[in-house]
Parts: sequence; structure tokens; C-alpha cells
Amino acid sequence: MMILSQNLLLHGKNIVNKIVIFLLSFFIVLSAQEKEDTYQLGQGLQVGSLPIYVGGYFSVEYAHTKDVTVYSVDDLAFQSYGNYEKFSYMAELEFKELYVKTKVGDRAFTHKDEHLYLERFYMDYTFNENYMIRVGKFNSPIGYWNLVPINVLRDTSSHPITSDILFPQFTTGALATYTSYNTEEIKVNVTLQNNTDLDDDYNNYKIDKHYGIGLTYTQDNLSFKINGGLFEKIPEYFAREKLYYMLLALEYDNDDFKIMSEIGSQKSNNEFTTDYAAYLQGLYRLNEKHNLILRAESFKTKLTPQAQHIGILGYTYRPIYPVAIKAEYQLHSTSRDNELLLSFSMMF
Amino acid sequence: MPLISIKLIIILLLSTLYLHADEYVVVSNRHIKTLSLAEIKAIYLKKLSYTEDTKLLPINLSLRDKIRKSFEKNVLQMNLIRLNAYWTKQHYLGHRPPLTMKSQEAVKKLIKKVDGAIGYINIDSLDDDLLIIYQWSDK
Repeated sequence: MMILSQNLLLHGKNIVNKIVIFLLSFFIVLSAQEKEDTYQLGQGLQVGSLPIYVGGYFSVEYAHTKDVTVYSVDDLAFQSYGNYEKFSYMAELEFKELYVKTKVGDRAFTHKDEHLYLERFYMDYTFNENYMIRVGKFNSPIGYWNLVPINVLRDTSSHPITSDILFPQFTTGALATYTSYNTEEIKVNVTLQNNTDLDDDYNNYKIDKHYGIGLTYTQDNLSFKINGGLFEKIPEYFAREKLYYMLLALEYDNDDFKIMSEIGSQKSNNEFTTDYAAYLQGLYRLNEKHNLILRAESFKTKLTPQAQHIGILGYTYRPIYPVAIKAEYQLHSTSRDNELLLSFSMMF
Repeated sequence: MPLISIKLIIILLLSTLYLHADEYVVVSNRHIKTLSLAEIKAIYLKKLSYTEDTKLLPINLSLRDKIRKSFEKNVLQMNLIRLNAYWTKQHYLGHRPPLTMKSQEAVKKLIKKVDGAIGYINIDSLDDDLLIIYQWSDK
């Protein structure tokens, strides 16, 4: 972490200044406002007495493989949300790679992306206890990992390959949800997109069509989820491509430990583009502040005809929950890709 | 003292403790339908915001309140670490924790005024015009 800090200070003063100004502005503006309650880090602030809240998050990361070392200010995001009667909204803007310094052998490259991306922007309307509709750009409601994908909320600095390659992480369109509560919770959602992305630079796939359906069953600490759908990639170099995906997910969470697993597949009209991608992760809460994480991943795609396996050992220290200091070591089936990751992230 | 008498005294003491276990209730005013335990949990986790056409308003007592701690342990079945994690994630998703009030009297006052407001109090503080939705005890 010290190496990372020194590097950022030496080579990224401009960026650090921007972050400081951003954070100072945030707190100065809000300290002048009337608060709903005592401020708690990680839970945002109310704007005056309006039903509007603001907050955000950021992370800095250090990644080291045998050949490449990367220092980055990965996320700096500002979000606002609120509700009135049956309406609610969410807006989020983000600098996604504000400062990235890459070292390959003796050579170093610096990349600064000062463009502000639109990560989420949507409005919800809740009809009653069962039905809700969302319109705008939102996290695709697929699996569990994709719902809270930011560093500070993740269990590890890295995220599993399932959430990168199988489906579009964001959808711009409509989401209809039916929820039923009895002794268990059953949720059905339908996702529809038939238009361009609100900001297709901020998505893992450039798409203009996405149709998906999901079913979630939750009882006490155990939850299962199944998702399926299709999306169309906007052609860049090749022809338009229609891709189908399916994902099964499981989550068990109690006071001592959490288990998560997702397994999925993706195919085009002709072939499997991803035969399978899967992970199984266990998190053990050593105590209030210290977590130990073990994750096994495996995937096989048309670009990697040999199955790839990754084993991850992670440790996370949270002095308070919205602040996370993480370390992880990844063992890859291709040993050249073995990687050490360190990160500091925070939600405010 | 014979061993049997000591055992008897211990059993009597334990029974007395059990009989004096604090009893708590989740309450609302009378303009709300009956709610299941899973629904109460969903309301306090802000997953469920309406019942029929009534907007729900869950009310917590202060963080260090003994009844709140018992409610979180026995009804929500989550410890403080998981609840902190849960509400930080909900902040990212655009949801706020329930309203907090300092006393049982304040909770009762709000419930009587607002349809859809629900709270938890000690059964000894129960008023006749409040509806018991769920009851539990510290054992």
C-alpha cells in the first residue's frame, strides 16, 4: 500500500488534487445542509429536508503479475437518489479510470481518463406490495455479484469472470419486478432493452437489445436465482451478433460465514461462445473487522479452448464496514498470470 | 445440603428467570392487515414498502436500545456486522434504513397517527388501541 501511495503522490498529484477537491466540495456543501440524523459513513447524506440523498465511493488499487505492475485510481463515483410517494430515482456518475500507471519491465505508461461516465440513471414506480417497474440505465439483475459490483462492497478486490463475460452488466430499458412474501420471498423480473445504451462506454458489451428473465427464491439465509436471456452486440468490426446466456446462482449468508456460487454459459446461434464459467466462494468472518475469503473459478471459452482455473486467497480488513483494505493472491492455471492485488476503497 | 435439594433450587431459579424473560411485541395501528414474520423482516429491511395500498413506515429504537438489539437478534436474525454491511449495500442501491426514534412513547405516538407505521415495544408498554402483529421474548 505504501508503494502505491508514494507512486500516486509522485505521479498523480493532479489527480489526487481533483479527488481532494471533489471530496471537500461534497462535505462542505452537505455540512451546510440540515441533516436527517447523525451522519454515518457509508450511508450518504440528506440534502436539506428534501427526500434526496447523496453519497459516493472510490477505490485505489495495486496489481502485480510477473510482467506487469499497475497502480490505479479505479473508481470515483458520485451518486444521488431519493423518493417521493411511489416514485424513486437513482443517478450515478463515475470517473472509471481516473489514473492508471502501468509498468512493463523498465517501461512505464500513464493513462488518465477524465471523462465522467453515466453509470446508472433510472426511475422506479412501485405499484403496490407486489409490482414495481424501473426505467433507465441500471445494473442488469443477473446473479448476485452483478447487483453490488463496486470494490468497497465486494468481498475481494477482483470480481469473478462470470460477471465479466456472460451477460451485459448494465441494461438501458425497462425492468418489471413481481415480488411475493409469505414464509419465503419469491421474485420474478423481466428485463427489456430495445434501444441504445445511455452510455455504452460504460458497459462490458455495446448492446442495443437485451431481453432477460430471472427468478429468485429466498428463505431465511438461503437464496437461489436463475437468469436467462439474449442480447445483441452492436457491430464494431464484425457482423451483428446475437448471444444467449444462462446463469444459476446460490447465496447462503449467516453471522459467521457466507457462501456464494454462480455458474453460467453463453452461446451464439452457431456455437458455445463460453462453454461454462463458474465460481465457488467462501467468506469466513474471523471477527467484526477481519474476513478471510477463498474462491475457486473455472471457465472455458472459444478464445480459451483449454479450461482455465483460478484459485484466490483473500483477506479483507474493515475498520468500519464502509472502509475496506484488501489483499488477495490469485493462482492461475497459467502461472504467468498469477497476481497480487491490494486495494483501498471507501463508501461515503 | 443434599444434592437433590441443590438441583431443585437451581431448577426453581432457572424457571423464575424464564418466567421473567422480557416479552416484546411488534405493533401497528388497526388499519393494517396481519403480517407474517417474513413480511415484518422484509419491511424492516426495506424490501417491502407497501401492504395492500398502504405505504409502510418501519420505526427502529436507538442503536443501543435493548429492545432493538433483541429485535435484530430474534426477528431480523442478523447481527450488527451483517446489518451494517446490508445498509451500506442498500445505500448503493438507493434505500435508506428505517426511521429511528428515541423512546417507546414516541414510537407509539407515531403509530397511532400514521397508517402503515410499525414499531416494536415492550409488552408492558402496550396500549389498547395498538394491534399486536408479532410477539417474541428474550430467552
